[in-house]
Amino acid sequence: MAMHGMRGLSIFISDIRNCQNKEQERLRVDKELGNVRTRFKNEKGLTPYEKKKYVWKMLYIYMLGYDVDFGHMEAVSLISAPKYPEKQVGYVVTSCLLNENHDFLRLAINTVRNDIIGRNETFQCLALTMVGNIGGTEFAESLAPDVQKLLLSSSCRPLVRKKAALCLLRLYRKNPDVVNVDGWADRMAQLLDERDLGVLTSSMSLLVALVSNNHEAYWTCLPKCVKILERLARNQDVPQEYTYYGIPSPWLQVKSMRVLQYFPTIEDPNTRRTLFEVLQRMLMGTDVVKNVNKNNASHAVLFEALAFVMHLDAEKEMMSQCVALLGKFIAVREPNIRYLGLENMTRMLMVTDVQEIIKRHQAQIITSLKDPDISIRRRALDLLYGMCDVTNAKDIVEELLQYLSSADFTMREELSLKAAILAEKFAPDLSWYVDVILQLIDKAGDFISNDVWFRVVQFVTNNDDLQPYAAAKVKEYLDKPAVHETMVKVSAYILGEYSHLLARRTGCSPKEIFSILHEKLPTVSTTTIPILLSAYAKILMHTQPPDQELQNQIWAIFNKYESCIDAEIQQRAVEYFALSRKGAALMDILAEMPKFPERQSSLIKKAEDSEVDTAEQSAIKLRAQQQTSNALVVTDQRPANGATPSVPVSQLSLVKVPSMISAEDHTSTNQALSEENGTLRKVDPQPPSADLLGDLLGPLAIEGPPGATVRSEHNAVSRLEGGLDAVDGSAIVPVEEQTNTVQPIGNIAERFHALCLKDSGVLYEDPYIQIGIKAEWRAHHGCLVLFLGNKNTAPLISVQALILPPAHLKMELSLVPDTIPPRAQVQCPLEVVNLWPSRDVAVLDFSYKFGTYMANVKLRLPAVLNKFLQPIPVSAEEFFPQWRSLSGPPLKLQEVVRGVRPMPLPEMANLLYSFWLMICPGLDPNPNNLVASTTFYSENTRAMLCLIRIETDPADRTQLRITLASGDPTLTFELKEFIKEQMVSMPTAPQAPAAAPPVPPAAQPTPQAPQIPANDPASLLADLL
Amino acid sequence: MPVAASAIYFLNLRGDVLINRLYRDDVGGNMVDAFRMHIMQTKELGTCPVRQIGGCSFFYMRISNVYIVIVVSSNANVACAFKFVVEAVALFKSYFGGAFDEDAIRNNFVLIYELLDEIMDFGYPQNLSPEILKLYITQEGVRSPFSSKPSDRSVPNATLQVTGAVGWRREGLVYKKNEVFLDIVESVNLLMSSKGSVLRCDVTGKVLMKCFLSGMPDLKLGLNDKIGLEKESQLKSRPTKSGKTIELDDVTFHQCVNLTRFNSEKTVSFVPPDGEFELMKYRITEGVNLPFRVLPTIKELGRTRMEVNVKVKSVFGAKMFALGVVIKIPVPKQTAKTSFQVTSGRAKYNAAIDCLVWKIRKFPGQTEPTLSAEVELISTMAEKKSWTRPPIQMEFQVPMFTASGLRVRFLKVWEKSGYNTVEWVRYITKAGSYEIRC
Repeated sequence: MAMHGMRGLSIFISDIRNCQNKEQERLRVDKELGNVRTRFKNEKGLTPYEKKKYVWKMLYIYMLGYDVDFGHMEAVSLISAPKYPEKQVGYVVTSCLLNENHDFLRLAINTVRNDIIGRNETFQCLALTMVGNIGGTEFAESLAPDVQKLLLSSSCRPLVRKKAALCLLRLYRKNPDVVNVDGWADRMAQLLDERDLGVLTSSMSLLVALVSNNHEAYWTCLPKCVKILERLARNQDVPQEYTYYGIPSPWLQVKSMRVLQYFPTIEDPNTRRTLFEVLQRMLMGTDVVKNVNKNNASHAVLFEALAFVMHLDAEKEMMSQCVALLGKFIAVREPNIRYLGLENMTRMLMVTDVQEIIKRHQAQIITSLKDPDISIRRRALDLLYGMCDVTNAKDIVEELLQYLSSADFTMREELSLKAAILAEKFAPDLSWYVDVILQLIDKAGDFISNDVWFRVVQFVTNNDDLQPYAAAKVKEYLDKPAVHETMVKVSAYILGEYSHLLARRTGCSPKEIFSILHEKLPTVSTTTIPILLSAYAKILMHTQPPDQELQNQIWAIFNKYESCIDAEIQQRAVEYFALSRKGAALMDILAEMPKFPERQSSLIKKAEDSEVDTAEQSAIKLRAQQQTSNALVVTDQRPANGATPSVPVSQLSLVKVPSMISAEDHTSTNQALSEENGTLRKVDPQPPSADLLGDLLGPLAIEGPPGATVRSEHNAVSRLEGGLDAVDGSAIVPVEEQTNTVQPIGNIAERFHALCLKDSGVLYEDPYIQIGIKAEWRAHHGCLVLFLGNKNTAPLISVQALILPPAHLKMELSLVPDTIPPRAQVQCPLEVVNLWPSRDVAVLDFSYKFGTYMANVKLRLPAVLNKFLQPIPVSAEEFFPQWRSLSGPPLKLQEVVRGVRPMPLPEMANLLYSFWLMICPGLDPNPNNLVASTTFYSENTRAMLCLIRIETDPADRTQLRITLASGDPTLTFELKEFIKEQMVSMPTAPQAPAAAPPVPPAAQPTPQAPQIPANDPASLLADLL
Repeated sequence: MPVAASAIYFLNLRGDVLINRLYRDDVGGNMVDAFRMHIMQTKELGTCPVRQIGGCSFFYMRISNVYIVIVVSSNANVACAFKFVVEAVALFKSYFGGAFDEDAIRNNFVLIYELLDEIMDFGYPQNLSPEILKLYITQEGVRSPFSSKPSDRSVPNATLQVTGAVGWRREGLVYKKNEVFLDIVESVNLLMSSKGSVLRCDVTGKVLMKCFLSGMPDLKLGLNDKIGLEKESQLKSRPTKSGKTIELDDVTFHQCVNLTRFNSEKTVSFVPPDGEFELMKYRITEGVNLPFRVLPTIKELGRTRMEVNVKVKSVFGAKMFALGVVIKIPVPKQTAKTSFQVTSGRAKYNAAIDCLVWKIRKFPGQTEPTLSAEVELISTMAEKKSWTRPPIQMEFQVPMFTASGLRVRFLKVWEKSGYNTVEWVRYITKAGSYEIRC
């Protein structure tokens, strides 16, 4: 029709079709685009015919996949053409080439509106179709009333009203306010009385969108939907053109049922009865036939009906009917149908009571595991995983284990993870569990994540009667010729801990155990060697009476690894070697590992995570998801302030683990805790061994790094020993609010102090977010960049960052996005200008929401006085005139400081240099004195030279005299106070290596009294970790 | 000798296999489908000649309208494989009489299979010299079925030929007129900044020969290169002539050149193969005489107009001239209208390559034609991306000129019978990638 007579266009198209290859096509297209550009640029303008022709060409080129970024103006202008052919091109090309955000569309709004309110039906249809495809918010605002009028008008033909309904749906999606809830509920109900099925289908789509947002307002539509369903199901009054392979309008059926699923329940008994009748009819009436199209249509209806039945919580009979139907499906050979059957059965599992019925099909499902189609295998695996419970766990897990050896590589990881979870969840007894996991590791070692064997170790450690069994079992596995590395890890750990329990059995003497393990050493990677070393150390310790030969052998190994390039291995070798010479003390240090606090299995968590990721957004799934996420909140909740260790989790209650803490009341919890801390404290006085302990804990930490768990215990200790509350300051920033429910990882204050001395690092970290910082300082300007990194697979929402700057800093934070997408990092630059010298610190008030957690932290920003210093060397000729010219207060201040932490002079010089104070040697004749100079930058003072002299007394290193001179009285005072703070509040860090700058704790805005020397063992441990 | 190929495929541009030969069974027959799926149908083609898909590596090369793909699964020698392809194509060309394309392949299936069997064995390249192969693969391409006279040609002992001391030349050749043709072909690669400073410049040259000589002649070639001249002056213990000497980098010789003699006496002496061959290749990076200078000024006037002025200056001798000069001046993609003024040649806008193409058929030395053009752009939807200003490209051929300044000083032919020979020497300089930023 519109193509008639456009020769240029048809020639172009035939040229393109005649192209031999892609390259020729591209050349032809580029040539044509050049031609079109020349035409559009022509001053004389184009005739409507030419314009139409070139715009069609543009569309054709665009459809071939080439970029067309000009000529939109021409396309839009065609919309207002009076004749149909041109108008049609305009609408078609505009809706293809532009999207709702294009500015050009704004030009068209008026014309489109005129077409919509005009009398010409064809033009109305064109306009509605375009708006329905690319209409944006602006269209929504200006066109919604007209579109609504068209939809409700009785004079319009169904053709127009159909399009109007869909157009309104688009506008509603863009701007929900265009549909007034009060007014529309009645009109919608009225619309559902429509006899024309086309209009009805479109209106139903609109209703789905409306109801999904607010179902309460549309109660009145419910019976009408049921009525429509009834009408369709009974095939009353359905015109021929709306039956598809004998099924009366499957689309409308599906949509009606979808709408009904958004209403929580259906109470009216009459409606309910009708509905069940209809559903019954649907369930009965569907069968697998030859024709693919018919199958597709009838199955679409059927599966929606199934979803609806699940939603309605129908009586058991109907459920079992559904399952029976699905059972028929999974027995069919057609893979698509089987897939659907399996998938829907998995969904059925969410409804109670059907498990028993589904179990009848277990054999069939297991055969599906061997299907050639991987997607079916996956579904079958999901279903088996879902339907597993205590009664059939043994069968299913054994089946899975058997299947594992023949399964696809791509599936093995998932398979082994699921088998491990099921074994853990439904283990009838723990030895069976250990058997299963060891078999798993044996068969699919490559696919076993660390979590799996960590979990075994946890169970074995927590269950005394399991220990000899496990040890014997792993030894059996080790005797096999080829052993997977993961198996070596588990066995090394378990044999190290518990092999002495087997000592009386044959072939299990320490020497033999050692030789079995040692055989594996050359074959393993560097991550396993440390575990083996620990095992050797423990075997050696358990050997009673001591075996000189074994000892020599093991010592030789330690000796060998003392020069290993891997720091971890080297450290262990050195430490174990030194420790093993201590004799009796060894017993204490290498004592059996304490029981683990109960944790939620990270495996289950992992599985849940992945499920949430792949879930689709249908109505029923949506609800199911909300439920699981609630469950997650309950189980996941970390105790506030870490006062009580994690509470045991309901999912684990089936496993009989003698729990230490859970069942007891609060006081005994405390006792238990202090007991546990007792064991910790015993080793505290020997710093290296404390380190070692953390070390041993290291590989076993199942969730979160070991620091976190130990820290929470440490906090608990400091609470118990209330007198030491002040120490808390070193762990938690003083300004931090206690409502914080998320436990930070690492010490915030330490991180802050480290950042005072360097320019990039981590400012804050918790399980959900990590805030890094990177700073650049130039004179009195600074540029900080905050890196907000989301560590999770779910977005962090309501992210807010406020800067509370002190008076002397001008800070400007760029916009912080409201949400941080999963696993993404957001950068927020922050400009800082220093106005005048002051020691006050800027605070970042940061909050975010994760799920139902609300976290709020106040973090000090490392924009401190010394960041605006610039070291500058000064010669004697420059120094002394300056020094003399600045005489007496307030420009030159002197103070004797007492209670300084004694330190040798070079160390003090290092410390000063780390604050950007340049030490000028040789200026002061007295070798016990230090002279330093620096330049301070701020907007008020500009560059200002500061001269510092520190006189120490070799007889009494705890006191010194500071003299400070600069051209500005405030600067002199502030800088003097700053240095004094740093000198005085130095913590006693006995084994801090000389290279690392000592960490000054909590420098608060006001000068504070010297802190209690932190010799509390717990905090010491925390420091070490 | 490392493995070079497990299989070789010849594909047309649509990806149909024209011919293939599997040399080892470590790659599946359907691996070429992977090539088609992952390389040909994506935009990867032409980005990287070596790709790994699955466990196999694909080396490919396009020659006219044919893709030659080598598939290997082991750790093969890539350079060797590509050299093999290049040599094989040269071989086919010499068999088919010059053309190598889809049609030529379709017309010579049997011959190609026969050659493929001969030139590679179990993935190891074999003798690829056309002179030798033509001795025993006598089936010639269909192009000249009547030219060969198999009756009066004795088939010599091929084995002796291949294993003999002079494997590349048959004995007992007789020509009525003894002639030697020598061509020095150089191509200049240049990248120049808009300010006129040379960023990168080198010349790759070839010495091509065509010999129609009787018997077993010994040839000696003298060039004005540095090594040769120095050596000569030492030998004759007289100072070098004041003329310019050229320093050649990366010289590679045809296998017929006697390398021990070259190393000891620094002379290029050889017994040439019969017919056409490439005697040596070299590269020069210093002291290059650029044949053309280009002075572009391109002004963007606002968002929709541009002014282009290009002056090209020929800096070779006034008596010489360049042929087939094409200057491609890039313009933005949204160019709509152009108007030109040129002092010589013809110019037009080519939308397919987004360039103004200015052609000058004959370009005398020491002249400087100019082009000035006005370009109008159409406004686009996409927010203004600044135009990247690709470099101006130039193509040309200058006969009797060498960008390196290399000259043949002598070409001596010595044969037992002491016949007279006629020597022909030609020089030509072509543009390689001759680019000037603007």
